[in-house]
Amino acid sequence: MQTTPDERVEAVEETSLGDPWVTIVWNDPVNLMSYVTYVFETYFGHPHATAEKLMRQVHEEGRAVVSTGVLESMEVDVQAMHGFGLWATLQRSGA
Amino acid sequence: MHGFKARQGRFVARVDEGERAVVASVVADVLELLGAPRPDEEHAGDDRPAAPQEPGGLPHLRTDTPAPPGDPAVRRLLPDASRDDPSLAAEFRRLTEDDLRAQKVDRLEALWRALESPGGGRRRDELVVSAQDAPAVAAALTDLRLVLAERLGVHTDAEADAMYAVLGEPPPPASAARGDHETRRYLVSVYGALTWLQESLVVLMLADARQARRAHGDGPPGTQGTGDVAGSG
Repeated sequence: MQTTPDERVEAVEETSLGDPWVTIVWNDPVNLMSYVTYVFETYFGHPHATAEKLMRQVHEEGRAVVSTGVLESMEVDVQAMHGFGLWATLQRSGA
Repeated sequence: MHGFKARQGRFVARVDEGERAVVASVVADVLELLGAPRPDEEHAGDDRPAAPQEPGGLPHLRTDTPAPPGDPAVRRLLPDASRDDPSLAAEFRRLTEDDLRAQKVDRLEALWRALESPGGGRRRDELVVSAQDAPAVAAALTDLRLVLAERLGVHTDAEADAMYAVLGEPPPPASAARGDHETRRYLVSVYGALTWLQESLVVLMLADARQARRAHGDGPPGTQGTGDVAGSG
């Protein structure tokens, strides 16, 4: 989903005082550990160690929070994860 | 089938004619599931679903809310964005499903064309993928495997580990059960081959990505990601 810069600023202002949102990636039996690590390194820009730690958390605990921010940003990340074939959801932080 | 190897900045696998036909038929099946025409059938030309882009290039915004896909395999390709908030999931689906579906269809069609046009490399059985196209190929292979796993009823890591046992089992004597057994064996063997193919590609992609970051001093990457967690960065 594309948003114009103006809409983006407005969204940040609207939600900056509220609870941030989180993007959660869920474990599945299909996605390869190497591929999930690749996604976390190349999309989020995490260093290897962080990407592998998050990948292991997804694999072993069933889920991991992979990004936090305003709703509009999390929607972008969730859609990107779905594009990669990972199952991601968004929810309010702490919910 | 030989897995991908890096060669002169490209990734090259060897997939023979029979293997290409098998993979291409799965690609066509998944395209059909996503509502796109099968590339292996003749079409009158104008029976594609409405394109998500309006003629003027403006994004097409749905005003209706698409229902979640009834087929669990399609729902895995176009998943719910919330587990506990149906209205949030519905709104997300309204905003993103058309784009996501179009992205997946484009990638599958590109993979189908690559499978149907051998000879890009030195040998006829070479499947040559540029570094630029590799992420799309890896993602398309994921989508094929997601659908196969759903059809095989594989929903847990334990089920994924156990599914390969069918390859070593003798066929059951009864004819009906024998057909099911043969189908399952076929799907599991295709799934296994695609898994192996994808793994060989992703290992190379990961090595390239890490090398590129080292070359740039491992500084903050030009990430598309919008958030950060776990003390990284």
